[in-house]
Amino acid sequence: MQGTEESKRLWLLAMPGLTFFLVFFLVPLGALFLISFDKSSTGIVDIRWMFDFSNYERFFTRSIYYEAALRSVGLAALVAVIALLLGYPLAYVIAKTTDPARNTFLMILVLSAMQLDMVIRLFGLMVLLGDNGLINQVLQSAGWDRVPLMYNFFGVVVGLVQFALPFMILSLVGVIQGINPSLEEAARSLGASRWRAFWKVTVPMSMPGILAGLLLVFALAISSYVVPTLMGGWKVIVLPIHIFQQISELAKWQFGASVAVIMFLISITAMLVYQRTSNRLAGGRV
Amino acid sequence: MASKPYSEALIPGAFKWISGLTLFILLAPMVVVILSGLNAGEFLTFPPEGLSLRWIEAFFASDIFLGAYFYSLIIALITMVISLILGTAISLFLIRSTALGRNMIRAVVMAPIMLPGIVIGLALYLFYISSDIGLARTQAGLVIGHVLVTCPYVIGMVSAALVGFDRSLEEAARSLGASRWTTFRKITMPMISPALIAGGVFAFIVSFGQFDVSLFLTPPNNTPLPIALYSSLRYTFEPTAAAAGIFAIALVVVSMVITAKITSLRRLTAATYK
Repeated sequence: MQGTEESKRLWLLAMPGLTFFLVFFLVPLGALFLISFDKSSTGIVDIRWMFDFSNYERFFTRSIYYEAALRSVGLAALVAVIALLLGYPLAYVIAKTTDPARNTFLMILVLSAMQLDMVIRLFGLMVLLGDNGLINQVLQSAGWDRVPLMYNFFGVVVGLVQFALPFMILSLVGVIQGINPSLEEAARSLGASRWRAFWKVTVPMSMPGILAGLLLVFALAISSYVVPTLMGGWKVIVLPIHIFQQISELAKWQFGASVAVIMFLISITAMLVYQRTSNRLAGGRV
Repeated sequence: MASKPYSEALIPGAFKWISGLTLFILLAPMVVVILSGLNAGEFLTFPPEGLSLRWIEAFFASDIFLGAYFYSLIIALITMVISLILGTAISLFLIRSTALGRNMIRAVVMAPIMLPGIVIGLALYLFYISSDIGLARTQAGLVIGHVLVTCPYVIGMVSAALVGFDRSLEEAARSLGASRWTTFRKITMPMISPALIAGGVFAFIVSFGQFDVSLFLTPPNNTPLPIALYSSLRYTFEPTAAAAGIFAIALVVVSMVITAKITSLRRLTAATYK
């Protein structure tokens, strides 16, 4: 009797929040799906209940759109791999740093870098990478030619790696720390070199974190709008740019919605696999 | 974990070098923004031509950037309060209820953290317009978007704190005649306060730096700081924008230091990103 009383109260308590998520999250996403199947009509947003696949047909038959999708996927995959190569060593150092003050200091640095508005970080990156930026100044004073470091594909990759690194590092730190150090020590005491112990013991055991980090970074990188627009100088056209143009500049609501749904499906697939992998590993930690 | 003095000796040398490079990539942009905002020169030059506060003063005199900064602060505060209330209530339900479908509800309310912000913003925008409920490009409509993407942080941290919660103190207070609300205020809230503070700080910071969700939802007459900075950065490098950046960096670093003081950063992130 008391149990049902308690559970009724808990439902009542959560009701405002759950209603909020229903009305402002699930319903709008449902509407987005519906609108993406509605007959295209410039300037009209209301659902007209004339559903067909014409928007999706348009997407998959015009190279400007499906090539942007392929470019987005390739870019996000490349960024995920680079973020892993650059992020793993720092995650390893943080995980193995036992001094609490130094450890907290490193975590504050990573979290601050993660939480700072990306536009501000891009401001700094652009000042570094510009044609007259610090890096090109150094190159020139060394007698080299200037190198175009942004407003191109390279610039977008650098920006996205900067954006994604903290997420990769946070995915890895917990997993690396959960590896029993005596395993590596055992390998070492049996004569394995430091590198061999690392490759044969640590890397396989951090696989869940590596996979989770790759998928998380992929999903974040594919949906970034600011980085490709500011670092790519409108030369690297990816899905979020098409979404914004279709909606805000061309008022093609239905087609814009279908591009958004395609991007949503790509990133939710990565997310579902991510949750699978991280649930499997969560059993052993936290 | 017990301290293992020899574990640091296991770090390969190459890792230390790459870590240095990674830290540089993470932190160099912030350092550049700080120095650019303190530049003494007429234009944005890097390295700066000497240090001065002229661009800081220009920031305080700038309607666009100072206005945007305060608008973002207000949005972030309102968002934080709503997210804390809704998120704590949902956490209590998720952890203490035995109702069926809890796992599915948890997956739904945690999803906005992981989904593309631009899609969430667009879905809300289309919903506001097609349902004609008067929220398109209004402050309330913007706050709703921000609550969606910040509430999961509160839920992640508060429900992690509730998992190991000893309920005998609550039962004692109840049996001594305290009302449910008094029990929550005097017993539950103080015990989960580190999670509440951490969740609130994260909600605040995520809202303050939010670009993706705001893109389609920003009201025409008021611009949050990330959108204002983006508009300016598309055309030119204004030292005043860098000065605004300094104050945003200060806010983020102070928030993270506060969070680090009251809770374990690693447990906190583990609770959210999984």
